[in-house]
Amino acid sequence: MEIKSTNREDFRKVYDANYTLLMQVVMHIVYNQEIAEDLVQETFERFYVKNISFPTMDDAKYWLLRVSKNLALNHVRRNKREIQLVDKVKKMPSETANYFDSSKAVMEEEDRKAVRDAVNALPENLRSVIQLKEYSGLDYKAIGKILGISETNVKVRVHRARKKLEEILSAEDKDVY
Amino acid sequence: MCIDLQMLSAYMDGELKEPYKTQVKEHLEHCAACRNLLEDMKKLDEKIQKDVFLEEELNRNKDAIYKKLDAKCFGEGRQVSFFRRKIQMSIPTAITAAAAAVFIFVGGFVFFGSNAKETNDILPSFSVNADSENVRLVSSGKNSLDDYTLEEILQYLDGKGYQVDISIKGLQPLEEKGE
Ligand SMILES: [Zn+2]
Repeated sequence: MEIKSTNREDFRKVYDANYTLLMQVVMHIVYNQEIAEDLVQETFERFYVKNISFPTMDDAKYWLLRVSKNLALNHVRRNKREIQLVDKVKKMPSETANYFDSSKAVMEEEDRKAVRDAVNALPENLRSVIQLKEYSGLDYKAIGKILGISETNVKVRVHRARKKLEEILSAEDKDVY
Repeated sequence: MCIDLQMLSAYMDGELKEPYKTQVKEHLEHCAACRNLLEDMKKLDEKIQKDVFLEEELNRNKDAIYKKLDAKCFGEGRQVSFFRRKIQMSIPTAITAAAAAVFIFVGGFVFFGSNAKETNDILPSFSVNADSENVRLVSSGKNSLDDYTLEEILQYLDGKGYQVDISIKGLQPLEEKGE
C-alpha cells in the first residue's frame, strides 16, 4: 500500500498513526509541550512539502521519526543558552515549594527527574537508542532504520545504555541514603 | 556457563532469535543467579519507563494541529504558501554545491551567511551554507540576531508577509551563462 505525502487521505492516516509517537520522541529531546508541538507540526509540513511516496506506512513512519528527531536536536543545539538558563531558574529553590504535596507524588517526581538526568547524561549515540526503545515501543529493526544503524548495533547500544543507567542510578541511590 | 548480559537484555526485549531464545529460557529455569539478573534488568526498565509522557497529555492539541495542517496543505482556494517552497523555486538548481555567501534583502535589513550545513535542510535545492553565526542585522543593531537561525528569520519574515529575495554573491546562475 503506497503512501503519498500530498494525498489528503494518506496524510490524515499518517498523521493519526504517528502524531503521538512523534510527540513522545520529541518531548524526550526538548521537554516542552509547546515546542514539541511546533516541531511535530513542522515535521508534517516537511512531509507534505517533500511530496514523495513511501512504499509502506512503516517507511513513512521512519522518515517522520528521523526528521522530527533531527529538528528537535537542532532546536536544542541552537537554544542551548536559553535552555540552560531555564534549567538554572528551575533548579533554584522555590519559596513556594508545596509542603503539602503527598510524599508519594514527590517521590515519583524525584524518580522521574533522576531517570531523566541519568538518560541525559548518556552520550548521544546511546541516548537516542535507549529513548526510542523505552519510550516509543519500537523494535530493534525499526530503531536501526530510523538511526541508520544495524539491528546488532541497536542491540549492543541498548545494553550499553542500560548498563550505564544502572551505574548512574545506583550511584545516586547511594548518595541519597 | 551463564548468560551474557547483552543477550539477556535482548531476551527481555523479546528480540532474541532462535536457537538462543530457547537456550536462554531453559537456562533461566534452573539458574537463580540469571533469574535475579533478569529481575534487576526489568526493575531498571520500569524505573526508566517512569519518564514516559502520558498519551492524553501528548495529544492535547492533536486535532487543532491537524486542522491547521489540513487547511495549509489541502485547504480550498488556498495557494500553498510554504516559504521553503517559494525560495526553493526562485533559486536555480544549477548552483547546487556552490560555496557562496547568501544575502537576503528585506526592507533595510541585510542578512548574510556562509559556510554551515543547516542551509541544506532549509533550502535543499542548493548547498550554500549559512548558520546563525553568519546571520547579522547590519542596518541597525537593535537586537542581536545571533540567537536566530536563517530559517527562523525567514519564517518570521514570511509570517509577516514580506517578500523575501535571496541573492548569491559572486555567483552567476549557470543557466544565464547558457550552460
Ligand atoms: Zn546463569
